[in-house]
Amino acid sequence: MAMALTLLFLAVGTFKPMAAWHWLDIAGEGGTAALAGYWAHLVIGSRPGGRVTLWLAGGLTVVMLGNWADCLDEIFIKNSTIVSLKWIESVLTPLGMMAVTWGMLLWREEQVALSAHMSKRERLFRDHRVLDRTTQVANSDYLLQQITLEHARNPLAPCALVLVDLHSFHQIVRNYCQAECDRVLLAVAHQLLLNLRHRDLLCRYAGHRFVVLMPDTGLAESQRMGAQLCSMVEAMRFHTLQDNARVAINARMACAVANTQAQSLLTALNAAVEELDAPTQVPVSQAI
Amino acid sequence: MLRCYDSATALIPASHQPALVLEFAHSQGLGAADVLLGTGWHNVEAIKADTSIPDTLLKPAQYLRLLANTQRTLGGDELAFTLGRQLLPGHFGAASHALLQAPSLRRTLELLAKHASRLSPLLVPHFRVEDGTAMVVWTDACGLGSLRSFVVHMQMAALVAMCHWRAGQRLPWTFCFNRTAPRNTAQLEVHLGTRLRFGCQVDAMLIHTNWLDQPWPFAGETHRPAASRASERAAEQEHLPRSLLGTLYEHLVTHARCMPALEEAAQNFDLSPATLKRRLAQEGTHYQAELDQVRSHVALRLMYFQGYDNDAVAQHLGYYDAANFRRSFKRWTGLTPSLFRDALGRLSPVV
Repeated sequence: MAMALTLLFLAVGTFKPMAAWHWLDIAGEGGTAALAGYWAHLVIGSRPGGRVTLWLAGGLTVVMLGNWADCLDEIFIKNSTIVSLKWIESVLTPLGMMAVTWGMLLWREEQVALSAHMSKRERLFRDHRVLDRTTQVANSDYLLQQITLEHARNPLAPCALVLVDLHSFHQIVRNYCQAECDRVLLAVAHQLLLNLRHRDLLCRYAGHRFVVLMPDTGLAESQRMGAQLCSMVEAMRFHTLQDNARVAINARMACAVANTQAQSLLTALNAAVEELDAPTQVPVSQAI
Repeated sequence: MLRCYDSATALIPASHQPALVLEFAHSQGLGAADVLLGTGWHNVEAIKADTSIPDTLLKPAQYLRLLANTQRTLGGDELAFTLGRQLLPGHFGAASHALLQAPSLRRTLELLAKHASRLSPLLVPHFRVEDGTAMVVWTDACGLGSLRSFVVHMQMAALVAMCHWRAGQRLPWTFCFNRTAPRNTAQLEVHLGTRLRFGCQVDAMLIHTNWLDQPWPFAGETHRPAASRASERAAEQEHLPRSLLGTLYEHLVTHARCMPALEEAAQNFDLSPATLKRRLAQEGTHYQAELDQVRSHVALRLMYFQGYDNDAVAQHLGYYDAANFRRSFKRWTGLTPSLFRDALGRLSPVV
């Protein structure tokens, strides 16, 4: 783009005589442009993709172009009938500055939301709008995006989904306050994270159900790992904050290999765990 | 004279549902000042001091504002469900006691409908049994505006969670929603269940009638008929007003066959037509909209349960001919009856 801008100036402008060049201005504006470009490069290189990166890097690139246009202005005399060049100079830099500022604000929001240990909670790209408030792991929106991404990345490799359901959670809700329920979910999320491989992704699907995305994993292996995760959750000794009573947590799971129909697959997994507690007292005459 | 409440009637004791919302907000680290903003309920010091919340009566509009504030501050789509599952049977006096004593699903639903002003002041449950299916249809108790979906989810979650607890198992409800399918159904699936139907023109929960009279396991331990009768009597003696919109809905359902006019409905409430018009306008609706809603619900029920064709429904609802009914149905639902029947065919059997 910087090259295109140079060519544009070359096409519509003529060189100023060397004597009229203000070297200090050229160095200042050219230097600013070069640094802004370098910053954009740094931002893109050091952050996962997403909204914040886009605004920061995009803004810095626009600032770079604005300053580059300023710098070229020192070298060329523009044809005064072309208004667009003037426009480029005066509008690009402030626009870029605003974009960077907006990116910074989003970044600040993101930093508040993110905790330190993120390796199993985010994969491939970052978008802090999808973090679950209670457990600080990703939510179902992020999961759906990740399944699509994973499929696009490697359509042939199997990618397993394991749904972990805390099926006694409704009793915990009846017996304890909201804060204790949230602590149970947080504790379970931590326990699951500790028992995952580095390439796995943990999401809180909704309520008392978690989903683990396991890339490059077949159905049999995911079943084995799912059973292991459930037994790790059940082996936890969770104690309430108020009276140190032990709360028993029961977990069970269902798993499947992901396909392109992510939402309907997840619905099927949820229906599968519901089937597990198929009514113990089905009315005899029930006709389904 | 029928006493009815609307969104500007002081009805809900602050220590009931509003206190639960505040407690929830507090558990999530929200400031009381944030969630009380604009509710006109200012006794923040009493709440902070954790003393008993003074039992002032709040208007439904204030309760709604409290919910809107909490939802806005917390964000996400989970609040309606986590809050909802704590709402029933609740600690709302005699009505909650009566609900807690109910020995079966049938009695629970009857009590819920009877004491709706206390147990579910924003959304009225209408309980009805038809052709092997028990239905709870939820309609607005007052103007809910943009919070309608939120309140529907909240009350459905409340009923589902209470039945799960009392029955000792998840009941196989089917859920009908008067909205298009959301992009992400995770919360609905986990908190309600996977039998979700969208674009139904009505918000309702359906279950096979076989579940209605199953004795609930708790009943053996806690159900004492004398205590149950006593709490039901106590609940009746509260003589709470019923919701204006809910009562109008029931009146119109009963008289749906004869195209009831505004004047007759107003007479039923001992109001002048102008006053009824004004009170409906306050709730963001008008008589024709309410009548259309009732007639579409009746038409859907006849088509779904009785298998009526357009002629039969038109005749039942007092239309001159099927073509007129067809036009009206299209206006209510955006679909022709035949298209809707196709959609129903794909849905069935729902229970």
